[in-house]
Amino acid sequence: MKLDNIEIENFRQYGGIQRATFSTHSQKNITVFNGNNGCGKTSLFIAINWCLYGEGAENIGELINKEAARKTPAGQEVCARVKLSFRHGGERFISSRELAGIKREDGSVETRTKPSFTLMRIQADGQAIEIKNPIGMMNTILPSNVRTFFLFDGEKIDNFARPDSRDEVRYAIYNVLKLEILERAKNHLSQVAAEHRKELKQASSGELLELLETEDRKRKEKENAINKIQELERERDSAKRKIVDIEKRLRELQSARNLQLQRDGIQEQLERTENDLRNAVKEIREITIRYHSIIASDAIEKARAILDKKRERGEIPSGIRQQFVRDLLEQGKCICGRPIKEGDPSHTHLQGILKRSVSGALEDKVLNTNVTLNILETQNAGIYNQLESAMKRRVQFTDRIRDLQSELDDVTRQLQGSPIEEIAELEGKRKTFEMDIERHHLEIGKCRGIIEDRDREIAELTKQIEQAQKRKSKNELLTRKISLAQQSADAVDKIYQELGEDVRQSIEAKTQEIFKKLVWKESHFKNISLGPDYQLEVIDRYGLPARPELSAGERQVLSLSFITAMVRVSEEEAPIVMDTPFGRLSSEHRASITENLPGLTPQLVLFVTDEELHDEARKNLEKRIGKEYRLIFDPKISSTTIEEAT
Amino acid sequence: MPDQTSRDDRVAIDPAMHEIFKQLSDGADPEEVPFGQLKDVFLMAACLGYARKKRRPLPTKTRDIIRLETFSQSDLPVLYALAIATTGDVDILDQGYEFLTIAEEYANEGIHILQENLLNQRGRPLWNLVDLVRHEVQSG
Repeated sequence: MKLDNIEIENFRQYGGIQRATFSTHSQKNITVFNGNNGCGKTSLFIAINWCLYGEGAENIGELINKEAARKTPAGQEVCARVKLSFRHGGERFISSRELAGIKREDGSVETRTKPSFTLMRIQADGQAIEIKNPIGMMNTILPSNVRTFFLFDGEKIDNFARPDSRDEVRYAIYNVLKLEILERAKNHLSQVAAEHRKELKQASSGELLELLETEDRKRKEKENAINKIQELERERDSAKRKIVDIEKRLRELQSARNLQLQRDGIQEQLERTENDLRNAVKEIREITIRYHSIIASDAIEKARAILDKKRERGEIPSGIRQQFVRDLLEQGKCICGRPIKEGDPSHTHLQGILKRSVSGALEDKVLNTNVTLNILETQNAGIYNQLESAMKRRVQFTDRIRDLQSELDDVTRQLQGSPIEEIAELEGKRKTFEMDIERHHLEIGKCRGIIEDRDREIAELTKQIEQAQKRKSKNELLTRKISLAQQSADAVDKIYQELGEDVRQSIEAKTQEIFKKLVWKESHFKNISLGPDYQLEVIDRYGLPARPELSAGERQVLSLSFITAMVRVSEEEAPIVMDTPFGRLSSEHRASITENLPGLTPQLVLFVTDEELHDEARKNLEKRIGKEYRLIFDPKISSTTIEEAT
Repeated sequence: MPDQTSRDDRVAIDPAMHEIFKQLSDGADPEEVPFGQLKDVFLMAACLGYARKKRRPLPTKTRDIIRLETFSQSDLPVLYALAIATTGDVDILDQGYEFLTIAEEYANEGIHILQENLLNQRGRPLWNLVDLVRHEVQSG
């Protein structure tokens, strides 16, 4: 979607008809609306949202311009209207939404009907055709549930960067990348299977009925465990957030500050050492897997001796291919023309060669084997040493972790024993939250175990049910339907999970790429990670997660990187419309963003104040601004006009 | 021994041991799941069987679990070496998949060793495996 132009009539503080054209130029792709606070930037932003989706305007009674209402005689109709024309997929559309009301005697306006919405497709000959299902069509163009990722308020977009934003990040990815279609398909198919199962249960008796009931129960238990995990994860995240808050408070308190800073340092070391330990364990596994060739070293040695002997005897490489000798014997003639007859010495000689030689394919295989075994023998000594040294490192890391944990316990003890009541109390709470997190982890692990068990049991029951069902041909069709629907649901679910994971990885890579462009070069923060748990993390120069330390502006850069990454990965052609985009950014981040953001989106619409856009930021954007407007507010009539800046 | 013409290039195992193969290679926690792939379990099992000089024939009904192409260029020569060392002749490599049948029988013994030492013992499977391979090398 690319916006062409907007016509706004008697909408909030816009009196009469106001028009603006958006730049659709590929290089000069920015449209800027300048205005001081209260001049109508947000109203114009709301007008776009309202026109396309009917959303964004909370109080519908205040949509109609007051000056227009004042001028309208009592009993007459007055109207607020927004018309937006845009292009999508090579076609032009005009979207129009209006709200009409009747002026009452007391001067107020009564709106009796809901706003009306029309969407027209403009044909090549200029004729406009009304689209019968405008909401459905808009959802195909840019779904309403993802609009907030394209049209957003700069001051509120740091949501994705908050410590408990996993659900929002996941929701955004699944919706922008349209994966929720698969989720719907899965739910629908599971529902169909459940209905068929119910039907079959009613038509069954005895053993089969019992099996079906058990299966039903197991599925419900699995479902409960899944829901329980979600609930526990939410509680765990909330406890984590509370710990972050407590630690922040402790850093502020003079008497606790040093101890908390000490804890920050220990925690940082602990995370790093735990990471080292994980890597050492992975390395040990990799090495141990390769140990098979040491265990089979006797076989390798023997095989090599046999191969070497063959080589010493000149049998490999033979120099004479078996097929060649076989051809000579078959033809009964040498290449020099002499006949070769059975019983002749030449015939016996050739047969001897054939017996000693090996086939061409075998010869290649034998030669390759010999080379590889030779390499393996050389490597084996190295593998042994690698394992021993990795095991030593593992012990060192484990010891270090134990020491660091006891140092942490020590800090906790000191804080809990503080004579200052607030400190002791805060630390006590922190400890409780820490224990909560541990308990939640344990519970989550248990639930995961239940899910695995139930999956196994359900698979076994499905087999038993199918077998029992085969014995009753009457219900065979129903069983087939159940099995098909359930298998399809499971397959769709698998695709859903795997696709989700692929998409997550692509978005992570893209977010990293964009973050590196947008973040101020001298920043302490170096990278982004978006883990399998959909936690968006900023990595500092020590390679550690650093989200609690982010400023509002940095959170905004993080969110912006994530949003633009999603847009790029989804290949959704949509404009980015930002209200108050740079208000919370430091001048360094602002310069970085203004330099790079225009290149990341096909069309950029900015609603800015003069303070937001000056100096280097303006200089960076200048060359890419295609259209620029000023919003002029006239306090006498409380109305704003849109004027093109020259 | 299975007929040469009837078998294909997939590695067969005793269906009763399939779960053990899976348990040792399917999962994210390296300490619980010491192998990355089924073929890694198979290779280790075959080498262990060879080291203990025991081949356990497969039952009539088997289960095919790994395609031969899954093995890397350095894995296959190890299987060839087991066959050459067992028969004393390189011609074994010219007899279709006979070399694979030999490896399968060693692995069918080896998988029981892995089950006993990795899963039926106290401790986490990866550390049990480290103990096992160290012990095997020392005693070998």
